[in-house]
Amino acid sequence: MRAWKELIRRLGYLGRRRRFDSELEEEIRFHLETRVEELVQGGLPERDARAQARQEFGRQNRIFEDSRSAWQFLLLEDLLADLRYAGRALRRNPAFVAAATLSLALGIGANLAIFSLTMEFLFSRPSVRDPQSLAYIILGGGSNAAPAQYRFLNDAHLFEGLAGLNPETETNWRHGEHTYRVWGTRVTDNFFDVLGVPVALGRPIHAGDQREAVLSDAFWRGRIGGDPNILGRGLIFDGLLYTVVGILPPDHRTLIGFGFSPDLYLTIDPTSAGNETTIMLYARLPSSTTRQAVYPRLLALCRQLDKVFPRAEYKWSNNTEMRGVAGLERLKLLSGMPIAAFFGMLMTVVGLVLLIACANVASLLLARAASRQHELAIRQSIGASRGRIVRQLLAESLLLAMLGTVAGLLLNLAMAAIANRIRLPLPVPVRLQIQPDWRLLFYAIGLAMVSALVCGLMPALKATKGDVQTALKLGERSVSARLGFRRVLVIAQLMVSVVLLLTGFLFLRNLSLSNSLSPGFDIHHSVWAYMRLVPERYSSEDSAEARNKIENVSRQAIERLRRLPGVESAATAAIVPLNDNVKFGGDVFVDSKSQAQQLFYTGNWIGPDYFKTMGIPLLAGREFLAADRNGAPRVLILNQSMARRLFGEQNPVGHRLRFHDDPPAAIVGVVKNSKYFSLGERDLPAVFWSDAQSSRAAVNLNFLLRTPQPGSILTEVNKALGAIDATAAIDVKPMSRTLGLALLPSRAGAVLLGSMGVLGLLLAAVGLYGLLMYSVSRRIREIGIRVALGAKPGTVGCMVCRGSLLLVGAGLGIGGVLGYFAAVPLAMFLVPELSPHDPVSLITVFATLLLVALAATFPPVIRALRIDPMVALRYE
Amino acid sequence: MGAEPLELLPGTLYMLILRTLLRGPMHGYAIARRIKESSSDVLTVEEGSLYPALNRMLVKGWLIAKWGISENNRRARFYQLTPEGRAVLRHEQKQFQSLVNAIFQVMDTA
Repeated sequence: MRAWKELIRRLGYLGRRRRFDSELEEEIRFHLETRVEELVQGGLPERDARAQARQEFGRQNRIFEDSRSAWQFLLLEDLLADLRYAGRALRRNPAFVAAATLSLALGIGANLAIFSLTMEFLFSRPSVRDPQSLAYIILGGGSNAAPAQYRFLNDAHLFEGLAGLNPETETNWRHGEHTYRVWGTRVTDNFFDVLGVPVALGRPIHAGDQREAVLSDAFWRGRIGGDPNILGRGLIFDGLLYTVVGILPPDHRTLIGFGFSPDLYLTIDPTSAGNETTIMLYARLPSSTTRQAVYPRLLALCRQLDKVFPRAEYKWSNNTEMRGVAGLERLKLLSGMPIAAFFGMLMTVVGLVLLIACANVASLLLARAASRQHELAIRQSIGASRGRIVRQLLAESLLLAMLGTVAGLLLNLAMAAIANRIRLPLPVPVRLQIQPDWRLLFYAIGLAMVSALVCGLMPALKATKGDVQTALKLGERSVSARLGFRRVLVIAQLMVSVVLLLTGFLFLRNLSLSNSLSPGFDIHHSVWAYMRLVPERYSSEDSAEARNKIENVSRQAIERLRRLPGVESAATAAIVPLNDNVKFGGDVFVDSKSQAQQLFYTGNWIGPDYFKTMGIPLLAGREFLAADRNGAPRVLILNQSMARRLFGEQNPVGHRLRFHDDPPAAIVGVVKNSKYFSLGERDLPAVFWSDAQSSRAAVNLNFLLRTPQPGSILTEVNKALGAIDATAAIDVKPMSRTLGLALLPSRAGAVLLGSMGVLGLLLAAVGLYGLLMYSVSRRIREIGIRVALGAKPGTVGCMVCRGSLLLVGAGLGIGGVLGYFAAVPLAMFLVPELSPHDPVSLITVFATLLLVALAATFPPVIRALRIDPMVALRYE
Repeated sequence: MGAEPLELLPGTLYMLILRTLLRGPMHGYAIARRIKESSSDVLTVEEGSLYPALNRMLVKGWLIAKWGISENNRRARFYQLTPEGRAVLRHEQKQFQSLVNAIFQVMDTA
């Protein structure tokens, strides 16, 4: 409070500086006059009295200065004065300002863009009240908990509130004659209250609501046309009527993060029989307690759970944890660390781009300082301290950095607008909402400061180091044009851009390799039809009956699809490769051996004709047949890798396998390896079960079709499936379009790092060009004399080229070595077929750099060749 | 009393000015004279430090300044204590007193 009042008084002073001076003057005059009067009264003649008073008083200037400075913000006012001066100095040199600002704008813009992308993707704050007092509960080691356990915990009232959500629920939206697949997060009725999720229109879902829905802004605008009258009306989801009670704000961010944006929130239907929707548990801690304080009581509760719901292998109390819902904790929780590493690499790369940009500006400032040495010497000789001049020069680079940052911010806003519109080809809805916020602003200010120092400090120190006397005597022109430090800068730039380009190129190669990598199945002659049934229509107290109902639909669908013209074969699969996966690990028993083998493998539940439809060659035995159903002998098919692991070179067909406690099954076939989850994986072992022999009863059905022309039958397929169940949501696409998820990492990497590499290369080229141009302009006289003495154009050209080659050679040499080591950690992002020391990439990068360097050298050579000796000599 | 003028102890100028102004508003010249007189000419406040000090105290809010007419009928700037200034004086005086006591104690016993 006191400091605040003081600040206000000081600010008041700023407004009345002139009056302050005149008042102080009057006050001092009064002081002197009074003293004179006193002395005169004491008997001194007035003239002597005046002289004595003045002498006693001391230097008036000092009093003025000291009194004024009591009121001033000294540093700030100095800085403002410096900035004003810098502004004037820069205005005289618009070309220099434009070059420096452009360099910095590109460097800083790239940094801001990646920063905001990183912040949004990894650290976006969920739209909840006070995320710090929320905790995500891992109950008994499971990410989700069953309704019974939820109710048990909730009834204990350990927390201020306990809510749950099931994030990955698709739901069928019946709209007019059509059924669409949309994404609805199912939540407990107290979810909005406990978490404090704000809505933009209407009201949130409240405790006691049974069939209510809150729509996302995107769904409301995009699918309902933004009609506010929807509030209070009903929409049909999964065959049930839900009342829309609220609309979320456009910037709603989910607890899951990573941009995951469902279309709507629905209440979990508590009345539906046998509802076993599992939920992620979120607890609101009572105020004034911490997670650590509540944890022991949660454990005590889990021990009660162990008694009420006993489990054989996992005890509830042994594997229960409480985690934070934002920041790093969420990242670790959702195993986002590899993604974080990728973003870390991106930040490093853009940091390097900024360094190159700063080197450009530093180089420009050095050139400028050299030509201003005379002026600086004069200022130093009339009493400015070195520190004062350095500060003055730094103010110039700060001004440049500020200009660059503002331009970079504008650039970033434009890029964010583009990024927000990109729809990522992911199986779940992900929507980025990159918006400028205070974090970005602080980061921008920090970047401006750092780049001002990086660009400006060295040139400012160098400019003020010289001997004042010599600089004054030599005059403006003949100060030695030493390029030493600028050469080092250009070499460093080239060096860094080798690393950048290498990174970018590796990712481009990675993309082209991923594209050419065969997934091991035919994506060009197959179609994926997805059909989601409304669970309520197919649920039943009796799980076998529910399974029969679903199986009926599936059988009908396959029969109809097979009859469609152009369809060669059709099959069902629980999992469509490269779009989802399952992993198993555990004991495998071969034949009647009691010795188990520990194996990790993937698997799938498939119908007859699956391998024929997918174009995966059968190496031995047969495919599943319609007869391989419940009741018939249990069968399975292995892929090559799995067969080799278990049987070596022996033919496994006819042998029997037993997994864990499952009944044993006979191996009827071996198929060629293919890719199951990512294009980068290598020969994963896989097991295929006959779907008709499993006890699965999922409402998500996948149908795969083989056809010579996938594009032409999509609508036919859609119609055929729709005719079986009009309430089902159907999505049909050619298999070639479903690789989006698998290719996303290599695409994103190639786009981001490739463009950063190009940006870095351009900046470095500008640096090289600027230095060569400058050095030629410095040597006009020398070149003029050489030409006058008979030097041939070739010799002059060679001279300039040699200078360039030396720099490029040094930059490439050091950069190559650096790049060799810098690329090693990149291996984690690349397909195994691509080594981080890929010779093709290395050679291409070197060739590219040489070409660009050549292009940057060309104009300075031309300039040197055009020098007319007569003009050059007169010029001096 | 022709005692030699002594240098002010650092930091005591504020206290002396505050104490002097306790009697009522005064202009700068009167403050300087007052300090000199009441110290029997031992303490002299240089004008070069008086006016900057007064300004610093204005910034801190210990004093306020008003223009008025002096005893010799001139326009003069009168300084006046604020409640905050009074509080500061009490504090400083106490601090200084205990410092002096401590010094004397050392001088007497050591």
